Amino acid sequence: MKYFLIFWAVSFIGFSQENESFNNANQLYNSGNYQKAASKYMSIIAANQHSSALYYNLANCHYKLNEIALSIFYYEKALLLNPDDKDIAINLDFAQKMTIDSIQEVPENGLSRLFAKTLNSLSVDGWAVRCVGLASLFVLLFLCYFFSYSESKKRIFFISSNVILLLLTSTLFLLFKKDSLENSMRPAIIFATEVEARLEPNLRAETSFSLHEGTKVLVVENYGADWSKIKLQNGETGWIANSELKEL
Amino acid sequence: MPPKQKGLRFKPKRTGKMKIKALIFTFFISGLLSSQVSFDAKVSKRQLGVNERLRVDFTMNKDGDDFEPPGFENFSVVGGPSQSINNSWVNGVRSFSKTYSYFLAPKKRGQFTIEQATIKIDGEVYKTLPVKISVSAAIDKPKDPNDPNYIASKKIHLVAEVSNANPYLNEAITVVYKLYVAQGVGVRNSREIDKPRYSDFWSQNIDVEGLGAQQGTYKGEDYLYVVLKKTVLYPQKTGELNIEPLSLDVTVEVPSNRRDVFGRSFMSTVNRRVSAGNRTINVKTLPEKGKPESFSGAVGYFDFKLTTNKKELKASEAFEVKLEVSGKGNLKLFRLPRLVLPSALEVYDPEHSEKVTTRISGMRGRVTDSYTVVPNDPGNYPIPSVSFSYFDLKTKRYKTLDSRRLIIAVGSGSEGKLENRKTSVGGENVITANRKQFRPFKTTADFTTINSKPFFRSILFWITLLGPFLLIPVFMFITKNKNTRALDVAGNKVRRTNRLARKYLSEAKKSIGKKEQFYNALERALHNYLKSKLHIETSEFNKEKINELLTKRSVGVASLDGFVSVLTACEIARYTPLSSVDMQNDYEKATHAINMLDKQLK
Repeated sequence: MKYFLIFWAVSFIGFSQENESFNNANQLYNSGNYQKAASKYMSIIAANQHSSALYYNLANCHYKLNEIALSIFYYEKALLLNPDDKDIAINLDFAQKMTIDSIQEVPENGLSRLFAKTLNSLSVDGWAVRCVGLASLFVLLFLCYFFSYSESKKRIFFISSNVILLLLTSTLFLLFKKDSLENSMRPAIIFATEVEARLEPNLRAETSFSLHEGTKVLVVENYGADWSKIKLQNGETGWIANSELKEL
Repeated sequence: MPPKQKGLRFKPKRTGKMKIKALIFTFFISGLLSSQVSFDAKVSKRQLGVNERLRVDFTMNKDGDDFEPPGFENFSVVGGPSQSINNSWVNGVRSFSKTYSYFLAPKKRGQFTIEQATIKIDGEVYKTLPVKISVSAAIDKPKDPNDPNYIASKKIHLVAEVSNANPYLNEAITVVYKLYVAQGVGVRNSREIDKPRYSDFWSQNIDVEGLGAQQGTYKGEDYLYVVLKKTVLYPQKTGELNIEPLSLDVTVEVPSNRRDVFGRSFMSTVNRRVSAGNRTINVKTLPEKGKPESFSGAVGYFDFKLTTNKKELKASEAFEVKLEVSGKGNLKLFRLPRLVLPSALEVYDPEHSEKVTTRISGMRGRVTDSYTVVPNDPGNYPIPSVSFSYFDLKTKRYKTLDSRRLIIAVGSGSEGKLENRKTSVGGENVITANRKQFRPFKTTADFTTINSKPFFRSILFWITLLGPFLLIPVFMFITKNKNTRALDVAGNKVRRTNRLARKYLSEAKKSIGKKEQFYNALERALHNYLKSKLHIETSEFNKEKINELLTKRSVGVASLDGFVSVLTACEIARYTPLSSVDMQNDYEKATHAINMLDKQLK
């Protein structure tokens, strides 16, 4: 009990410190001192604290400093923590306009697009929390069904618990799907001004296409410590040296 | 012998060819006329092809008799002997010459000698010296020394002068065509028949102003020359390249062997075709070492600039990005580097313009590509640095020039302006949510620890996910028990009374030692027990009634007595002092009695 209180106090102090730094950085940002603001924001991250707003503000700094890759990188990080934020999406769009590559997404049919959209609307933990919630709800409804005496109540609880069970299984499916996707396709941002994607993980190999700073790719495979196999939104793949990109 | 006449000219049988020689002899011998007798053999050439002909003249300056020609083995006599006599009086001095001419054709190749010819003059025998002739392999076209065409061919030369026979790829070289004309020969007109096609070169002709003749030498001899044509060439291929010959049709005036009365030759006009021979240029490849990626073939010396006409503008306005390469080199022959712009910008195809002048030293000037760019949305757009590489001919190295990275700031577009105007006309300022605006920073943040363990796959996750499901069987078990008990009504009742009795008994047990409370509780417990068992009211509660009822229920006497005795003990206890040991005894008795009764009361 005592330890818990101490922990609570410490965490509270830490919390207020971050907020102070965050406010300081915001002031620097507001006065146009983007370089200093960025380093201030970074100091919060160095203290092992993060938030969607922090990444967003940091990305804004880099955007103002015309550092394309860095700004896109942090906008994407902000989006990972808060996928629904409109501000992040809009400013990310601004940053993406600075990039040279435009990768046409392979047109998907409506169903798979819907599936992808649903899948990306929540993080893995988000889906996990929903699964837990649905499981509890199902059990509650099932017990209600079990304990209720009147015919009509029983029917209502039976149907609703079944609906929830269906929802639960589909949410579980989405959860595991999302988890496996995140493990197999880790998004990364190209940091090099221009980089050639090669057919094989070595410098002698033929280049299949070239990418520019700020382009988002998916890392699907690694070879050794130096090479990553990347996949573009349009489905093309190639090998890129790890030094040229940064995983989110 | 014909009479000796001043200026008399014999017309030999083979007139044309003999004219010159005869004339020469006329003048020659007339000057040399002296008492000394000479008898010489002269050949038109000492070297000839086997298919050519040779003329041999035996000339004497005094008439003689018994001329005996040599044997001419190895030769066949194709013409002659023909005689000619020249007799002239100059200043009272007589000159005389008599010539026997033979035309010979060699029979085979080799070194031959024309043996001595003899003649008897004034009683003495004179002999000529033997002449050595070498006969070589057949010559394409037997040259006739008197043919004006032949003379023209010897006196007029077209030469292509190449400035550098070993240039780099795309290095400028010049070819200058000069027409060399020997003294004494005139050129009236020239016309290009076959213009050279410089198939592996980029070429440009440089205009030649006027055809001024200049002094020069050709193969060690003095000539006059005229520069006909200058061409700048940029080789487009490596290796041995051939420059095709230039062919000219030239009208040439050649002195003929006909002379006017003053001894000047008549000029005969001949159309002659001359061509500068093939020239081979060995083009070097540019070194592979250090070749930059952005190299697109520029060779020379250049400067590179990237400029924009605006740095700030409104969306949907246009701006221009200009790439300019200026300097010296193959300006028209390489592609300017391509401008790579963010894909969000609308870029039109570049307008290419060249301001290049070509001189004998090569191209010089500037080439520009100007791109018209229209940003549709506001934002900051970088114009990435563009690299331009060229091969510097001075240092023989590649050089790369990089432009600076520029940022174009595009503000909200004219659409916004229009909207504003509309609203101002309407008189009210309607603020519409503009999606195309950079969003400001966020003022608050909820911080979490980085790398906090993910919830998914944590123990808590599994417990919270699966825990509720465990509740289902638990609840099911509980309700099942409850139901079976609910079905057994009597048992329920018993349990209830037992519970009640036990409750009161437990109350009593607690107060062992406190006499009043203990016995009160004990009595109450017994009453309650019976109340529930026998369904009697407290008002009916006396020993007789209990006896009667219990007997009716066929309760054994012993149990009945036990029960009643406990009740009696309770009554007595109110009035008598009792120890806690007695209380303990009474409690146990009560418990026993209740148990006994319970067994019998079914």
